[in-house]
Amino acid sequence: MASTANEQAPSYPTAIAFCLTSTIWFAAATSFGMIAAGYLFAPDFLANIGWLHFGKARPIHVNLVLFGFVTPGLLAAGFYMIPKLLRTELFSEKLGVFTAVLWNVTMLCAIVGIGAGYSQGREYAELPWTVDLMIVVLFVLVIFNILMTIRQRKESILYVSVWYITAAVVLTGTTYGIGNVIWKPDTGALLGIPDAILLWFYGHNIFGLLLTPMGLAVAYYVLPIATRSPLYSHTLSLIGFWSLIVVYTHIGTHHLLQVPVPTYLKVIAIVDSVAMVIPVMVVLINLWFTVKGKWAEIHQDIGAKFVFAGTIYYFFVNIQGSMMSLPVVQRVTHFNNWVVGHAHIGVLGFAGVTALGGIYFLLPRITGKPIYSRFLADLQYWLVLIGITGFAIVLTIVGLIQGQAWINGETIYRVLPQIQPYYIARASLGITIMLGAYIGAYNIIRSIFFNPGATAK
Amino acid sequence: MKMTLTAIVAGALSILALIIFIMVFLPYAQQDTTPSNIWRDRTQVEAAGRKIYIANGCVYCHSQSIRAIDWGFGGERIAQAGDYVGDEPILLGSARTGVDLSQEGGEHPDDWHVAHFVNPRYTRPSSIMPPFKWLGIKEILTLTQYVQSLGFKQADIRMKRQRHWKRQAIEAYEAGPDVNARWLAEQVPEGWRNIPNPYPTTPAGLQRGHKIYQEFCLGCHGPIGDGMGPAQPWIYPPPLNFTILKGREISGGIIYYQLMNGITGTAMPYFKRELESQKIWEVGDYVAVYFINQSDANTDPRGIDAAWEPYLEFEPE
Repeated sequence: MASTANEQAPSYPTAIAFCLTSTIWFAAATSFGMIAAGYLFAPDFLANIGWLHFGKARPIHVNLVLFGFVTPGLLAAGFYMIPKLLRTELFSEKLGVFTAVLWNVTMLCAIVGIGAGYSQGREYAELPWTVDLMIVVLFVLVIFNILMTIRQRKESILYVSVWYITAAVVLTGTTYGIGNVIWKPDTGALLGIPDAILLWFYGHNIFGLLLTPMGLAVAYYVLPIATRSPLYSHTLSLIGFWSLIVVYTHIGTHHLLQVPVPTYLKVIAIVDSVAMVIPVMVVLINLWFTVKGKWAEIHQDIGAKFVFAGTIYYFFVNIQGSMMSLPVVQRVTHFNNWVVGHAHIGVLGFAGVTALGGIYFLLPRITGKPIYSRFLADLQYWLVLIGITGFAIVLTIVGLIQGQAWINGETIYRVLPQIQPYYIARASLGITIMLGAYIGAYNIIRSIFFNPGATAK
Repeated sequence: MKMTLTAIVAGALSILALIIFIMVFLPYAQQDTTPSNIWRDRTQVEAAGRKIYIANGCVYCHSQSIRAIDWGFGGERIAQAGDYVGDEPILLGSARTGVDLSQEGGEHPDDWHVAHFVNPRYTRPSSIMPPFKWLGIKEILTLTQYVQSLGFKQADIRMKRQRHWKRQAIEAYEAGPDVNARWLAEQVPEGWRNIPNPYPTTPAGLQRGHKIYQEFCLGCHGPIGDGMGPAQPWIYPPPLNFTILKGREISGGIIYYQLMNGITGTAMPYFKRELESQKIWEVGDYVAVYFINQSDANTDPRGIDAAWEPYLEFEPE
């Protein structure tokens, strides 16, 4: 057991700093998303603001969501869970807070870099070389802090969440530098077709080796505690963990099924995309059986409520993903808004919602007070859920309209006027999500700094 | 299985290393770097234009990746690995909010691109691309050079064709309306010139033609067909003023043929990929009825009367 002094003063400043980082960039990222969505139905919107048109607002939005909102949100939970699970303190809270501060500086540099036109032009790897370096440094700092914490642990058994977090930061720390071709500062790219192969290996693994394992770590921690239930199966945890690392890393090439890349890569990518059912269902069966029949407990804890919703989106996005990897399906869904919908279900519906769940779960446990407003948290829950579900429906419809029309020989210009109303609907749902982000930011900041405690409702 | 720190870190990293070897390194080591038969190096200006293309995120809406199932621009040539041997980064794209640009070079003359970059709706009224006037004309011209090189040697052939016909189109335009109208008609194969518009003028047909005109023609030819659309200041020879064509023997067949095939060298694109037969005939009749004020719709020779044609003659107001 840890010393009593440790138990009396758990303040977790690193986790708090990452909560703030995540919630602020969630608001910023959705705002950039709204600007991009506006351009799609009103292209002269903000016309001639050179650093903010669609081609820049979109990559800023994507990078802020991935590296500003979701990753820090999940790391916040990580920096809380790891010491808790290992019955120790974080190796260095000072280093952790410094990492969080540097993280915010890096995100500002990302906006300036892309806005000023220094994008490297590779989707999910746009960030200019200097920002790439900063992100690698950030990961090295996080890895160092977490590994040193594990080394000084007082609990010998490593819980599933620790496996996932450790693997996520170590693997992403490795793939980030490789995927961004960091040894070639001028272009940050390889030459020709191998560049596409590497890019989608890396791009897919931002979801597969960073957001997914981090999100699952949070789910494995929050759901058993919130429902006061032991984890259903250790064996399933093991199978889920290792199969995720084996299978997920193979499948990036399913983005290139219609491109002249070697056929064996396509075959592996398709087979393993379908095989994703194994790591996904093993984990979900494990988690869902753990919380079986404990609806009231899940409902009671707003953090667990978010996390459980995240597992449902995780189920949906992966079943959809396996299906989309089939060439016959992809003939319709490739190159259009179907994929945009899929990406939103995965990154916001699963990883983002889980990150929010982690934040809401740990805040009362760190501050010793209930969150500032359960009502606002519930409101955010529904705004985000309605927004993301609507997104999925609308963008899937648009994707089907585009895909079917193109395959029938109708050109882009013929289809554009038909999908404009859907772009308006999509932007409206985007406002819903953005409102959710703003309300969440207010609630989380109030919970940390100006929280009157149990008297607040 | 006991999960130790070593098992997690070493296990995960060795799996990753193995998979990177199979999924990334092997295809990299075995790649065929032979250029395809259309490939050529980019000039300095074209490379500079590509940088502007990257900086402004054009890749988020424009793919450069033609598939076996594609129609539309570039659909004649399925992409080959050898097309990308000079691309760093490769710009395949992941969405087609706009058209695929693999073979865009020479589809339009330079002036069309300038008008289109200033505001895409000037030349393509239904486009949803943001305007790029803020880039300034110098950067727009550089970017245009890159776009005109897409398709490599095929683009060069098309650009040569654009320049060849532009000289003739300018000559005809500068010789005055009589010569210009005759020149335009003479470019149409003999048989087509004698064909009247086989679709009768009907209120519904004019409505449909009006809609097509607004979505495809308005930006250059203007709302009243006088060639004074918003693209006009950027384009030379300027868009055709339809109102001068009355009495100059412009048949429905001539209009149809020019809409279908376009007038290479001028900003007039071909519409045969975008519009099916009836749509071209009906927008042609809309132009003939409202702007030229002279339509040969459903006049002789017209063969066997089509079964659906209206019984009563329609007189436009």
